[in-house]
Amino acid sequence: MNDSPESSLVAPALLLELPAADRLAPAPPEFRQSRFHRLADRWSHLVFLACSLLVVALIGGILFFLAARGLAAFLPLTGNTGRTLSFAEVFLSTDWAPSSDHFGILPFLGGSLAVTGLALLLAAPTGILTGVFIAKLAPSWMRSLMRQVMDLLVGIPSVVYGIFGLTIILPLVSHSFLKDAPASGFAISAMILSVMIVPTIVSLATDAFEGLPLSLDEGSQALGSSRWQAIWHVLIPAARPRLLTACVLGLGRAIGEAMAVQMVIGNNPQWIALMREFTDRAPFLRALFTPAATLTTELVQELPNTPTGSPWNNVLFAMGLLLYLLTMVLILATRRFGRNEVA
Amino acid sequence: MRAIATLRSPSRAKHVDKFMRGVLWVIALGFILVLAVFVGAILHQGWPVLRLDFLTRMPETLEAGGGIKPQIFNSIYLVLLSLGLSLPIGLGAGVYMAEYAGKGRTLNFFRLCIETLAATPSIVLALFGMIVFVQTLGWSFSIRSGALTLALLNIPVITRVTEVSLMSVPRELKEASYGLGATKLQTILKVALPYAATGILTGLVLTAGRAFGESAILVFTAGTNTSAIFPDFRLTVPGETLSVHLWYVTSDGTLPDAREIAAGTAAVMILVLLILNLSVRFLDRAIRRRTR
Repeated sequence: MNDSPESSLVAPALLLELPAADRLAPAPPEFRQSRFHRLADRWSHLVFLACSLLVVALIGGILFFLAARGLAAFLPLTGNTGRTLSFAEVFLSTDWAPSSDHFGILPFLGGSLAVTGLALLLAAPTGILTGVFIAKLAPSWMRSLMRQVMDLLVGIPSVVYGIFGLTIILPLVSHSFLKDAPASGFAISAMILSVMIVPTIVSLATDAFEGLPLSLDEGSQALGSSRWQAIWHVLIPAARPRLLTACVLGLGRAIGEAMAVQMVIGNNPQWIALMREFTDRAPFLRALFTPAATLTTELVQELPNTPTGSPWNNVLFAMGLLLYLLTMVLILATRRFGRNEVA
Repeated sequence: MRAIATLRSPSRAKHVDKFMRGVLWVIALGFILVLAVFVGAILHQGWPVLRLDFLTRMPETLEAGGGIKPQIFNSIYLVLLSLGLSLPIGLGAGVYMAEYAGKGRTLNFFRLCIETLAATPSIVLALFGMIVFVQTLGWSFSIRSGALTLALLNIPVITRVTEVSLMSVPRELKEASYGLGATKLQTILKVALPYAATGILTGLVLTAGRAFGESAILVFTAGTNTSAIFPDFRLTVPGETLSVHLWYVTSDGTLPDAREIAAGTAAVMILVLLILNLSVRFLDRAIRRRTR
């Protein structure tokens, strides 16, 4: 059959090395082509499409139900049991005292931003540097070890982080920094949060650095730069859009974390006044350990105890809505960075 | 320009390079140390509590000496139920995105939705589940409310894993399948999905671990009580899981031995997590052996 001299020479040799056909691969599946199979093929994509549309519907559904309950605080609805609140007294006031009819949520928003900011301050530089280390410097055994460490850190449940903070970090801090005064607050929450979000940042940063063209490395080395100079002056700037995405996603994880923070932050909605007291009388360090509260911790703390339809309950749902909208803004922001990316 | 400027003093650059490499090693080793201290401390605290007795007794409400038997059951039951609910949906959505959505706007939009759902804080999902299942449908704090809300947490992860695993199926394999006369559906079901199965399974184990550790969602949907009967397979009873129990006993404060129970529960959870991670690595190795 084969006329070409080349293939007649090569083919038998190849055939000899191949294992028996049945060991090479399982028998090919049998493809029957009945009317049923053709119909199934024509319509099945609708099933898959329905699954995807369900996800879209979920996004909308969450928004709808949270908005329905959260915005009820500001509308004179029949289901409400208290007075109708104004946007200004909820979103622009630091006065949170639900039992005496004050519903300012700024302390929680401020608490969330402070804790998240501090956590990111710890996690972003270390996470990005670890990413560069894994992608560019670490020997291969260290690389796989670091991946496993990050996998474990991300898999540890938030309540276990919480109990670690509660039973080990709090006593330690109280004993060594605060002269045995009970410890809680921003700094400890931020410490725990930073460990919780660092795997997200590391894994995305590693991907970012591994995705850079090798020519950047080679070019800067050819110009005589050291490894660190290449990293600092070339690789990190080149990866900046994706590093920014990594930090924003880490931020999103931190701002939404509830249980671990709730267990260590001290749950004190009046933290602003207390912090002022601390900064007046004690060193700055003490202020970092002010017992405080965030959007998520306040939800965990108070939602089960408030009657449905009361302004208090409605405002808590408004805080949930705010968290959800923040998530959406952060995700859209990462899309924006992606567009600026240099290929 | 700055890079060139520093070249004027190469010896300084060399010192900086050496120093910064050291810093990177220290940071990386620091994280390993953090993990080691963390796992070590949790296991050390929980070890004295971890007796068979603790795992097989019913919990107490006011006295010391309670166990965590129903919580273990509820954790496993809820994880399995939520995976059972989210697996078909996640698989379906993943198949659609990898095989049908093309590369245009539709795919981008679906990806955006999946990313948003994946990034949604679990406390927000908890509020949604509480409004819809607990209050509107009147299911109160129950296993079914918990399982359905927990499924929302799993869906984006399973979708993403399915999509990525299907993308990694070699094109030749699919083309060969078409060449044998298979329809697109047959190619997906009999060629692509079996090839991607190990990858999806790995993702599934990780999802199970995440669902197992989730607490915020379940506090608001499955409640902080357990049925007095064991094992109780009814979907209408409240179902406190291990992670919720750990949180509840520490924040509630009515149990005299809350600290011990929390420490023991945390140790159990860490052990389960370690086992899940080991099995993921085992699966991973199996995949690599097969694809090599």
